Amino acid sequence: MKRRSNSPDVARRNFLKGASLASAAALAAPTAANAIPAPPQPKLKAALPGPLQIAADTQPPNKDPATQATSGGDFMVDVFNTLDIDYLAMNCASSFRGLHEAIINGKNNKIEILTCPHEEIAVAMAHGYAKIEGKPMAMICHGVVGLQHATMAMYNAWCDRVPVYVMGGNIVEANKRMPGAEWVHSAIDIGALTRDFTKWDDQPTTLQHFAESAVRAYKIAMTPPMGPVLLSLDAELQENPIQEAETLRIPKLAKVMPPQGDSGAIAEAAKLLAGAENPVIVCDRLARTPAGLARLVELAETLQCAVIDNAGRMNFPARHPLNMSFRRGPVLSQADVILALEMNDLWGVLNQFSDRIVRSYRQVYKKGAKVVTLGSRDLYQKANYQDFARFQEVDLAIAGDGEASLPALTEAVKRLIDEGRKSAYDARGKKLAAARLAMIEQAKSDATLGWDASPITTARMCAEVYAQIKDEDWSLVGNAIRNVWPLRLWDIKKAYQWNGASGGAGVGYNAPASVGAALANKRHGRLTVAFGGDGDLMFVPGTLWAAAHHRIPLLYVLHNNRAYHQEVMYLTAMAARHGRGVENAHIGTTLTDPNIDYATVAKGFGVYGEGPITDPKELAPAIKRALAVVKRGEPALIDVVTDPR
Amino acid sequence: MIETRSPRARAAALAVAAFILNAAGLGCFGTQARAQDAPPGDAANGRSVYLKVNCFQCHGRAGQGGAMNYPAPPLAKTAMPFEGFKMVVRESMRDMPAYNEAVLADKDLVDIYAFLQSLPDQRPAKDIAILGD
Repeated sequence: MKRRSNSPDVARRNFLKGASLASAAALAAPTAANAIPAPPQPKLKAALPGPLQIAADTQPPNKDPATQATSGGDFMVDVFNTLDIDYLAMNCASSFRGLHEAIINGKNNKIEILTCPHEEIAVAMAHGYAKIEGKPMAMICHGVVGLQHATMAMYNAWCDRVPVYVMGGNIVEANKRMPGAEWVHSAIDIGALTRDFTKWDDQPTTLQHFAESAVRAYKIAMTPPMGPVLLSLDAELQENPIQEAETLRIPKLAKVMPPQGDSGAIAEAAKLLAGAENPVIVCDRLARTPAGLARLVELAETLQCAVIDNAGRMNFPARHPLNMSFRRGPVLSQADVILALEMNDLWGVLNQFSDRIVRSYRQVYKKGAKVVTLGSRDLYQKANYQDFARFQEVDLAIAGDGEASLPALTEAVKRLIDEGRKSAYDARGKKLAAARLAMIEQAKSDATLGWDASPITTARMCAEVYAQIKDEDWSLVGNAIRNVWPLRLWDIKKAYQWNGASGGAGVGYNAPASVGAALANKRHGRLTVAFGGDGDLMFVPGTLWAAAHHRIPLLYVLHNNRAYHQEVMYLTAMAARHGRGVENAHIGTTLTDPNIDYATVAKGFGVYGEGPITDPKELAPAIKRALAVVKRGEPALIDVVTDPR
Repeated sequence: MIETRSPRARAAALAVAAFILNAAGLGCFGTQARAQDAPPGDAANGRSVYLKVNCFQCHGRAGQGGAMNYPAPPLAKTAMPFEGFKMVVRESMRDMPAYNEAVLADKDLVDIYAFLQSLPDQRPAKDIAILGD
């Protein structure tokens, strides 16, 4: 396909022509040594032509037109319209100016651009959005420097098995790069930077190649185990006129069906579960859709067994009588069959680790218990980054999507239940339900400790927020590290009322992911709230501007402990190990002197802000005022000065 | 490596386990009697040291508990007997720092225990309206 008029073959001919003319000119030019005096010239009646006129008269016709009627970017927009993508998050960059222009000015575009002041914000917004909406958001950046900004957020999405559709602009052909930024912003292979934590990447060389890779990328991202993908978009391909348009074809995106576990293995697992005295289900990233939640409830209630939820997704209702997530030690110590559903770190659940010099560990589940895994992680792993966690020895490993495989497993279990077993199951369920009720009452009692203290306890912060949203159609989409109170106190039961965590524990996820999730909720009219740490927000404060600019309603409650608190504790542990300087652990770990005024920061970005709130009595009125702002369609931030955890 | 605990570490683990069972209403300690067995301490100094050596970072200023990588139990009016408490602080377990005498003198440990006993206990949740649901 022809490219620009100065495409390689044409340019080469021009180069040869230029070289011939230069030789002829050299032969014809007089030299000073053998110069012959020129004969007298007749007097001219008109002025001599200027250099521009000479150039116009002597140069070949213009081969570098200034305008064009079509562009590859227009075709790319047509391709995106066939994919189920509603938003493109970006920080603008010249290496994708062709596509950018096609999106904002093309007639057929359906994608809305989200302006983000940092690529990490753009990817994390897409991350949070995908978990609520169940489909990817696209993100585009400079393929070199922008992608470097985006990488940590992409790593989070990889670890969390979330589809994010990332694109990076690049100028592939060296002779097409303008001097300066275009050279330092180009690479032979931009995907090399992120290949360890993307499912797939490609650098299409033609528009037809792009169409096929764009559809392939979507399909791969959405096939469990899901994950981010990357397309490198050549600037020439985006910007130049479409050649041979009649030959271009956009492939159909097929319905993506997740893989199910082997039927024989499912039957074997069902037999183990049905015959167990104390079966236990542990899960992490099970529920991809609302169906996952319902299916897990059905299996657990069929077995009347304990469920330990690592809460990577909204897997199981927080107050369900069988939810033993905060009683995992006693439950695991009595388990004789453990079913692990879409677990990432099963070893971490089944063992207790001592972070001391030897770093020893101890198994916390009963010796001889049978362990069955069902999940899609075994279907796709990479080697370098160690997000697959420590190897756990199991008895039966079923590779298949957990949510898709649950109906077959539940039906297989039901077929094995007779009256005797049903009676035993019911008795088991009653015991667990009684324990669950006691746990809820214990949580409420624990929450009263320090109720009127300042700094404010995290329990009170969470209780005050819940009191004002519990009768609304609410969605909690973000949480500060180790803030267990929503899961202990709140009646979290709908698929969109919990949105998991970052996956990679990369700081700077929570604020933008919450905004992305709030954007997804906006369409459904839900009231979105999030808790977030101050350290996290300081990585990506520009998130607030993006939320204000796009009118994304979200109540962001800042759990402001004025520190990178996990590190305060780690440093304390190191100092204690050495028997020195425990009181110095604040150095390099805290965000004080000066204290940051986040309400003012928020206001500076156009977001409603209140705080710092140190008196717990002032919290409820502040939440009420902020919720009024959110209900009229705007973001709001409350800065709550809290106890560390 | 698989954990092979020292006798003291095992005792610390047992003390914590007993404490947790007791907190859950499943243990057999007589809370008041055990607390009274503790040596007398200076609660005001205990509070100061509790904050200085970062106990509050995990367990909260009001002794309400918290978490590091594992849960950090509430310590207000702790039901753990002083000897068990001391053993846990000195030996620790999981991800809790072990405080030896170089960073936390025995006298300060006694004072911290006194401070924890001086903290307000849990209130009936029903007395706080918003905890009702």
